[in-house]
Amino acid sequence: MQTVVLFALLGLGSGAVIAGIALGVVLSWRGSGTINLAAGATVMVAGYVFWAVRTGFFGFALQTVPAIILTLLFMALYAVVVELVAVRPLRSASPLAKLVASMGVLLLTQALVLLIFGTSPLNSPSVLTSDVVSVFGVAVPEAQFILAGIVVVLAAGLAALYRFTRFGLATRAASESESSAALAGLSPNVISLGNSVLGHVATGFVGILAASIVGLSATTLPLLIIPALAAALFARFTSFGIACAVSLLIGISESLLYQASNESWFPTQNGSAVPGVQQVAEFLLIVIALWWRGSSLPLRGDLVERSLPMVPDQDRLAARVAPVAIACAVALVVLPSDFRQAVTTGLVATVLCLSFVVIMGYVGQLSVVQLALAGVAGFALSHLEAAYGIGFPLGPILAIAVATVLGVLIGASALRVRGVTLVVVTLAAAIAIEQFVFANPDWGGGQSGASVESPTLFGLNLGTDASFRGLDGSLPSPVFGLLALVVTVVLYLFVANLRRGDLGRRMLAVRSNERAAAAAGVNVRAVKIQGFAIASFLASVAGVMYAYDFRTVSANSYGTMSALSLVASVYVLGVTLVQGGVLAGFGAAGAVIPLILQTWVLPENRVSVYMQLIIGTGLLIQLRFCPDGLLVASATKRERRARASRAAKALTAVGAKPQGGV
Amino acid sequence: MTEPVLRIEGLTAGYGSVDVVRDVHLEVGKGEVVALLGPNGAGKTTTLRALSGLVKASAGSISMDGQDLTGLTPAARACRAIAHVPEDRGLFRGLTVAEHLRLGPRGERLDAQLAYRYFPALPHIADRRAGVLSGGEQQMLAVGRALARRPSLLVLDELSLGLAPVIVEQLLPVIRAYADESGCAVLLVEQHVHLALEISDRAYLMAHGAGSDSHDAAALRRDRSVIQASYLGGQEWTPTADREKERDGEMQ
Ligand SMILES: Nc1ncnc2c1ncn2[C@@H]1O[C@H](COP(=O)(O)OP(=O)(O)O)[C@@H](O)[C@H]1O
Ligand SMILES: [Mg+2]
Repeated sequence: MQTVVLFALLGLGSGAVIAGIALGVVLSWRGSGTINLAAGATVMVAGYVFWAVRTGFFGFALQTVPAIILTLLFMALYAVVVELVAVRPLRSASPLAKLVASMGVLLLTQALVLLIFGTSPLNSPSVLTSDVVSVFGVAVPEAQFILAGIVVVLAAGLAALYRFTRFGLATRAASESESSAALAGLSPNVISLGNSVLGHVATGFVGILAASIVGLSATTLPLLIIPALAAALFARFTSFGIACAVSLLIGISESLLYQASNESWFPTQNGSAVPGVQQVAEFLLIVIALWWRGSSLPLRGDLVERSLPMVPDQDRLAARVAPVAIACAVALVVLPSDFRQAVTTGLVATVLCLSFVVIMGYVGQLSVVQLALAGVAGFALSHLEAAYGIGFPLGPILAIAVATVLGVLIGASALRVRGVTLVVVTLAAAIAIEQFVFANPDWGGGQSGASVESPTLFGLNLGTDASFRGLDGSLPSPVFGLLALVVTVVLYLFVANLRRGDLGRRMLAVRSNERAAAAAGVNVRAVKIQGFAIASFLASVAGVMYAYDFRTVSANSYGTMSALSLVASVYVLGVTLVQGGVLAGFGAAGAVIPLILQTWVLPENRVSVYMQLIIGTGLLIQLRFCPDGLLVASATKRERRARASRAAKALTAVGAKPQGGV
Repeated sequence: MTEPVLRIEGLTAGYGSVDVVRDVHLEVGKGEVVALLGPNGAGKTTTLRALSGLVKASAGSISMDGQDLTGLTPAARACRAIAHVPEDRGLFRGLTVAEHLRLGPRGERLDAQLAYRYFPALPHIADRRAGVLSGGEQQMLAVGRALARRPSLLVLDELSLGLAPVIVEQLLPVIRAYADESGCAVLLVEQHVHLALEISDRAYLMAHGAGSDSHDAAALRRDRSVIQASYLGGQEWTPTADREKERDGEMQ
């Protein structure tokens, strides 16, 4: 009993950080209707900036109080910049675009922090007292209690602000209906900016105080968004009190879970506790929150009609695919070995990106779990082979089936909810899979990775180590690349045709308006599940191909931040267009574009961080200036021109003169 | 002649690329109550939304006290002392009555007492949330809030929507009284043509997105055939118009 209480108290610190992030999430939602995926990154930014000005990283070191003040001023400035770059331009955009913009901010800030401060975690100087109090004879840092107290006071203060001040009233009004608020003379821009500054300063403050308790790491802090989102969901993105309370409870439960993992009854493997139970619990918590609260999530009545990216027709497919396919085939034979490898990886990544085209471009849902599903397929392939001796072709088929079913189950858990909340579930699922499956010594590859045999059919080696070599005579063999090319082209045509078929039309109907689609007789849930199944299938195929490509499966390749980068790059190029998937695929980690950059432009060891930086920046620029995506914009322009010239021809045909202007 | 409070000239507006209102002219003077009448879908709401900036005008000009409003955001127009009660009443379900009467743009203090004076039922429900009020109470709150802002132009879109005629008969005279006392200009869209004309000075008729010249309300009251001929265009009466005809018959 005593240890239980003790560990419960030790969870207050991380609970307080989660609460700080959850308060930021609620403020963003109420201020501008954005599900702010970058709220966790706010803690990171504040923590690092404070560390830097406190320890003299920038050449001057301040005392604690001035350092806090300077950091908070910086956070206010940061909030203004984020607002002007990623929120205000998207005032009238779709919720999907707003969500993606916050993802861009997350990618960009994390990349910047990694580039400036490096990847290894830092020890932040403690701000609160380092005294300890004795609980049941065990020393507990007082700072835990103080931090929890501060967060509670913060939540109460925000609740009071919303209840009693003009600003709070205005925010509550505007978050119900922007058009009514505008008629009441309330400026949505001012309200949004005010809440943004408030959120960043409050979350940043918690981040400063907590940095010395939870540690300063650019890889873990941004992901605290997941428990914070769970808490915010329970609070229906509205109540500061509930968000704070649930966050503290999550912190306490995680600490207790940690304590329990040392108990004899806790499930173990090879003598150590099963990893990732905490992340699975967070995922389940989010699923529960969505089922319980999902249907009553407040919807905002926004001022301007939302528009989703255009979906251009996919015409003259064969003419467009053939040259690229031939070029790839030639490249797979003649290029030097590292480029052959990169082309193969690009083809595989293309298949993965096609899954984003289906789920985001056609169905209009943001899902980030695909890379994790690819990992599941890869590990399943490896283990089917190692444990049961099931090889090609049954092995990959089973592996794809396993990962696809898992994907459908995850998607089904978000079915009840309208809107873009699928991202919350899939984000939590991705982390849970990463920690629970990949990090598991039996199911995943552990630290070293799991090996995969090359595929052979009728004694013929189809893998990267086949005897047929490239022109320079070295590995990898082009054989697997050519196999990947065939699979990629087939799936590309499948996804392009999906858009033209009946299911594609139903998907687009669901995307543009779920209620209207339902009224028109479309079974919205069935369409979503089908979309999710197709996307999961594509991701699983890519996972199996990745495994054969590298002949090993390692958890590092399937990290959640890589997944976000991939989603973002597909979105930048044009999420409604299969060509976007191809280009994004060739820009994915290990593919051609990073290889070119790494060979000639960027420092080799940080190429993935730079890619993340480029993609995050590109995303924010694209959302601002070219909201449909780069390729989509040019495709629609071409389409319009073609239509105009067709119309002109038709007019001349009937003897009329074409009129200028359209 | 003195400058009117509101002057709309050649207004063309619509949704997307479709114009649903074309070349509408309209003026409202100080202390004047002007009705905008027309069948469903005529474009009355769109005209009012364009006036408030919720819909973009593609041509024409809208000016208040001689100052052009083009380019101003809806919020900025509201701050120019325009109080617009939209068709959906523009209330916030989660805010209480008292909070509604505190909610104004920066630098503007609402006169809650004024609202309470015109609508004596409001103080008793001051702590209730707007979402749980009855339709009549909500409409009182919406109008009370608009009056409490002491606007120089009051724009009302179908106050009667979803309300019993008895309540409408109570609400409309309040508007007239307010215009007389404060000098506020009132632009009123109303399906209960007969009730609207009773409190109006002048009226414009709208059909299929086109407006009419100004008509004297008293003349329209006397000769209903103008309305029938010009905006119902010989079509059947709407149900409300029907009821009014019956009631007119009873009164005669
Ligand atoms: N949000 C909208 N989008 C597209 N068309 C609209 C919208 N609102 C109204 N309309 C169309 O504009 C026309 C005028 O509507 P409205 O101004 O509401 O008429 P009224 O208020 O006179 O009944 C109608 O034909 C209606 O279908
Ligand atoms: Mg109307």
